[in-house]
Amino acid sequence: MANLLWLQGGACSGNTMSFLNAEEPSACDLVTDFGINVLWHPSLGLELGENLKKMLNGLVSGQIPLDIFVFEGSVVNAPGGTGEWNRFAGRPMKDWVADLAKVAAFTVAVGDCATWGGIPATAPNPSESVGLQFLKRASGGFLGPAYKSKAGLPVINIPGCPAHPDWITQIVVAVATGRGGDLTLDEFGRPKTFFTSFTQTGCTRNMHFAYKVSATEFGQRKGCLFYDLGCRGPMTHSPCNRVLWNRQSSKTRAGMPCMGCTEPEFPFFDLAPGTVFKTQTVMGVPKDMPQGVDKTGYIKLTAAAKAASPAWAEEDIFVV
Amino acid sequence: MPSAVQTLDISPVGRVEGDLDVRVDIQDGVVVNAWTQAELFRGFEIILRDKDPQAGLVVTPRACGICGASHLTCAAWALDTAWGTTVPRNAILARNLGQIVESIQSLPRHHYGLFMIDYTHKNYSRSKYYEEAVKRWAPFTGTNYELGVTISGRPVEIYALLGGQWPHSSYMVPGGVMCAPTLTDVTRAWSILEHFRRNWLEPVWLGCSMERYEQIKSYDDFMAWLDERPEHANSDLGLYWRMSLDVGLDKYGRGHGRYVTWGYLPHEDKYNKPTIDGRNAAMRMKSGVYDGRTDTHKLMDQYQTREDTKHAWYDEAGGLHPFDRTTKATMKNTTDHDGKYSWSTAVRHAENGRLEAGPLARQMVNGGTHGESWQHHDPLILDMYKRMGGASVLLRHFARMHEGVKLYREAEHNLREFRLNDEWYIKPTEKDGRGWGATEAIRGALCHWIEVQGGKIKNYQMIAPTTWNVGPRSGDDIRGPIEEALIGTPIADASDPVEVGHVCRSYDSCLVCTVHAHDAKTGKELARFRTA
Repeated sequence: MANLLWLQGGACSGNTMSFLNAEEPSACDLVTDFGINVLWHPSLGLELGENLKKMLNGLVSGQIPLDIFVFEGSVVNAPGGTGEWNRFAGRPMKDWVADLAKVAAFTVAVGDCATWGGIPATAPNPSESVGLQFLKRASGGFLGPAYKSKAGLPVINIPGCPAHPDWITQIVVAVATGRGGDLTLDEFGRPKTFFTSFTQTGCTRNMHFAYKVSATEFGQRKGCLFYDLGCRGPMTHSPCNRVLWNRQSSKTRAGMPCMGCTEPEFPFFDLAPGTVFKTQTVMGVPKDMPQGVDKTGYIKLTAAAKAASPAWAEEDIFVV
Repeated sequence: MPSAVQTLDISPVGRVEGDLDVRVDIQDGVVVNAWTQAELFRGFEIILRDKDPQAGLVVTPRACGICGASHLTCAAWALDTAWGTTVPRNAILARNLGQIVESIQSLPRHHYGLFMIDYTHKNYSRSKYYEEAVKRWAPFTGTNYELGVTISGRPVEIYALLGGQWPHSSYMVPGGVMCAPTLTDVTRAWSILEHFRRNWLEPVWLGCSMERYEQIKSYDDFMAWLDERPEHANSDLGLYWRMSLDVGLDKYGRGHGRYVTWGYLPHEDKYNKPTIDGRNAAMRMKSGVYDGRTDTHKLMDQYQTREDTKHAWYDEAGGLHPFDRTTKATMKNTTDHDGKYSWSTAVRHAENGRLEAGPLARQMVNGGTHGESWQHHDPLILDMYKRMGGASVLLRHFARMHEGVKLYREAEHNLREFRLNDEWYIKPTEKDGRGWGATEAIRGALCHWIEVQGGKIKNYQMIAPTTWNVGPRSGDDIRGPIEEALIGTPIADASDPVEVGHVCRSYDSCLVCTVHAHDAKTGKELARFRTA
């Protein structure tokens, strides 16, 4: 039995919705098969008895053990560091977060808002939002760089906008079944098992990437989305093409450029004019290279790819 | 002598996307006054200022993870009208399909996950249906709760086939869609729909075939259907209806009795050159305003939209059209129930005042004979409204679930009409201008206004269904729709007023809601609870 509390700050509930799409295990399986005791969740509607505040205070005082504290949404500090723009159960949500993080065995940030600040933290960040332990790429966030939960781990960051349901359930089940010790995290607190490979790993457009065949416009039946349409698949860490979405597909498979939403900078370039769904280039060379590739290497690689590209690569491949 | 007024502060009344606090005054066991207070401000309109014109395609679906497809639909059509694009037939169908499957998803998810669990509340333990309700609808362990919540993930698999994932894809773009589905995608989509129909919609929800259900055109037809076979009476719909009557949910939750819908699902051959003014005549589901007092219908016109800020935490003039708004947040958001008390503005129609948005509103409008002769018409809910003496918690939630079969048929239409070898996208030319995009999210009227100037966003404004419904009092101090609907709600136990939750939840507001109960005389807190 593991007590789980899920709260939302500056959130859209997208991660909750994503979580409810889970199938193996499903959200219900977590409760009935894995002994997760959902103490409270903003939309799952478990009976709480009389008084949510009483329960929260019981958790804060240590009377009720808090095994897993899941936070979705940004920590809102506005106005002027008070957090009054996001009140919950009678006080700023950030104050609840500070108290609960102290008593939690594991603290899990789900989605970009809770990990890095996400969309609400996009300039000019009107809500003064931060993630639990990061603001964009800077370590610290709301809880500070030194924060460790009672189990001795920093905040477990499950980024993504939203996070994939399997990423969430796997971490929760691992913790609840005593395998929390198997979790290894990267420098951004992300579980390595999911965030070491790239979005491009397993993408159906890899051959077009290799031969530098571009999808120059949307709605085409061939081509890689990296060269013209701003796809960040080659430099974004996620298993989106290994663990498919909604059991069916991924954005890049469907024809939508990866926007790099598991990385701290999302949304990239703060959505400045000219940056949305367009590859940023300097003298025809992308500003952001595939991870680890330098400019000279890239020019050599693409020249060779172009030269070697077979005729079929220019034909439609994802045909009716 | 009337008894003292008790004040009940409900904080938060559970739902999603922020927090909703509700204060109710109770006298003689009945709600006599109410205030709804939205407690979260993220400032999406401010974030979008000076950004790439297409930033709304990325940012606005993330305003709400539940209605992301609906936001994306609005964002895309707003740019289409601003840029004067041409949208191919296939793209209209693909956008509509994404919108529809998101809405179908929400039916079992909201019904079981958020609404029906209240029927297992101990308040209703004396109902003859209580034992069966607990067996079916108890959270996590109820037989149909588990089935319903789990199967709700299937319809949006179709969204993933089009956009890669649900929630939060941005596959709808000005000029069309990003995808170019193949025959396999269409086949999969059909089989997902079939699975949903064969495993939940027909056997569990209806207890009959969709074809039989579609024969129901009036209140009398529905009552005859209910008695026709035990499978009907014992279906989740049949039990919902019977138990709701048994516990009195037909008796309160009335509201203003005035309704609005933008209309939605543009016809695939009638909105290929989208304009703001051409929209009403191009929708498969027509727009409209219905006034229950005069029993009249008319089309809804976006130029009539006004937002009041007298009771909202914004430092700007009230009565403005969204194109004229500047979104200046009040820095110090102190709650003052006589002054400002919510982040939601008070939306109203310049002529018709406060209007309720949502599935009930759509169905009231669907019953009208206004609009184009080819547009969808369905008299059932309007007939029920008249026969049952107005709106109620029972009717409002029934209207939501009633749309399931119709949306299913619309999804079939889209799959049938795709011409897979035709184009999906026509690259537009970016230019400055004003645009407007609207749709109906499952929970009601949603729209975006955009002004592009100098190649970037000058102004971006959104009005969500929850803004219509959860808004505070307007400039002329008229209550918001939910505030009004709470009036007359009987409270059996002031320390556990589940009835307030029923009313709020029948609106499916996208806010997390908690109730505080106070004795107005002594100021003593009687109870605090969340309603979902």
